[in-house]
Amino acid sequence: MIDEEYRGAKQWSRDKQAVFTVVWISFLSAAIATMVFFAVFDPVELSGYFDEARDLSRDAGYAIGFFFFWLLCAFCSGVTAFLIRTAPKRDAKHRRQ
Amino acid sequence: MYESAKKIYPREIGGRFDRLSKLATISLLGLFYAVPWLLWDGRQAVLFDLPERKFYLLGLTLWPQDFPYLALLLIIAALSLFFFTALAGRLWCGFACPQTVWTEAFIWMEQFTEGTRSQRMKLDKAPWSFTKFRKKASKQFLWITFSMWTGFTFVAYFTPIRELGAEILAFNVGGWTLFWGLFYGFATYGNAGYMREQVCKYMCPYARFQSAMFDKDTLIISYDERRGEPRGSRSRSVNPQDAGLGDCIDCQLCVQVCPTGIDIREGLQYECIACAACIDACDSIMDKMQYPRGLVRYTTEHNLHNDETRILRPRMFVYGTLLVILCGALVTSMAMRKPVILDVIRDRNTLYRELPNDLIENIYTIKIINQGNAPRRFGLSVSGIEGITLDGVADEVLVDGGGVLSLPVRARAHRDNASGVSEIEFNVEAVDDASLVMGEDSRFIGPTP
Repeated sequence: MIDEEYRGAKQWSRDKQAVFTVVWISFLSAAIATMVFFAVFDPVELSGYFDEARDLSRDAGYAIGFFFFWLLCAFCSGVTAFLIRTAPKRDAKHRRQ
Repeated sequence: MYESAKKIYPREIGGRFDRLSKLATISLLGLFYAVPWLLWDGRQAVLFDLPERKFYLLGLTLWPQDFPYLALLLIIAALSLFFFTALAGRLWCGFACPQTVWTEAFIWMEQFTEGTRSQRMKLDKAPWSFTKFRKKASKQFLWITFSMWTGFTFVAYFTPIRELGAEILAFNVGGWTLFWGLFYGFATYGNAGYMREQVCKYMCPYARFQSAMFDKDTLIISYDERRGEPRGSRSRSVNPQDAGLGDCIDCQLCVQVCPTGIDIREGLQYECIACAACIDACDSIMDKMQYPRGLVRYTTEHNLHNDETRILRPRMFVYGTLLVILCGALVTSMAMRKPVILDVIRDRNTLYRELPNDLIENIYTIKIINQGNAPRRFGLSVSGIEGITLDGVADEVLVDGGGVLSLPVRARAHRDNASGVSEIEFNVEAVDDASLVMGEDSRFIGPTP
């Protein structure tokens, strides 16, 4: 006889779970990638390779690097989540036979 | 099917573990907000100066090339998490995780403005009125102010806090600084104000794999089913045995206090962050009923089944040994860290130049990094070929504390001694300390005979 009001949270929808998990995990991965990458490369020296004329500050370099990694990781885990979620179920085939 | 998450209204409960959790919250948050204000030798004690690519940690200055220390430190942190999880379950989740700690602080502000659990539930159901607006607005004011302060403090780990404060007062904050401050502030607001337990349930990888570190000797929070069942309400004067009841009076208090909205009586669940609020709740009821405490308690699976709990088990030895080895490695390598680094880059544009008097010249860029905090004088020399000399370098060069000196140098040798490729070695020696010598190998290229 547990009052439903007390029974806390129900579930997030599968889509909401997928989106937030992808965003969050790629955020963490991007943070690690940014740390490792910029420990080795100095954004000021790097910017010279791409565009001699532009004077990129370190702050901007770090930020661009971070968002680049975030996008890349989000793309990677997003596509992975999408493919897993939309794959044909194994038992669906058995059921047809 | 889709069902939107219901809001959880955790009920406030006093008790032993509540005091422990308050202590943890206040000391951890206090540390976070206070550390950027500390000074060491006239500069900020902990500062990750990204624009200058230097990390100040108390008396220590770390450079990008010291990155392995950071990596080692992170591995040690992860391993300690494993160690303590195997030993004592989700201590981290319940008392130390930033998600828990900030959520706790946000719930305090919620209680302060909107009142107790039942008052909050009533307020949310009530139609909009002036009182509701005033309560909601003051909560938002507290939340947003606190979030902004959090964002400001976060940025202060990367930008000197006193200059930052002055910039903010003058409304003159740099673009990226402002952006990251707002970013972190907003993340705090969203995570601690709204997402709360959803982060642990759906987004936290640790919550999913922590069970791999669990065994039957791990400390867990559990309901003693054998003692509690069959549950049921009864008056205090009734002897439960006579009524055929266990000790659980089914008061629902343990469910109401749970920040993740689970019922601990259903057994160990991965949603449980081991905050121990249900222990406090149940103990308070047991006291009132004059039953012994501990119907919900810290225990182990072995203990629940009347077996002995073993603390020293192979798992603990493996994690423990690895921890000791890694900590030892970190301390030794930090202690053996050289206060000066020498870097030699050979000029790639020219192989060699032929000079009069049968001399051959190679060009190098020498980088001397003084990792100490005081300025130092260094002498530079080269060896490996008979009669090799350096040209264009003073006898002594001065490198600032924490500074990098980049020197173009020309090395010269007689062509009879330097045909083909020869290995040479550059050396820097501190003028005030002859034991402080660093060498770096390079190559000298001459004409092929």
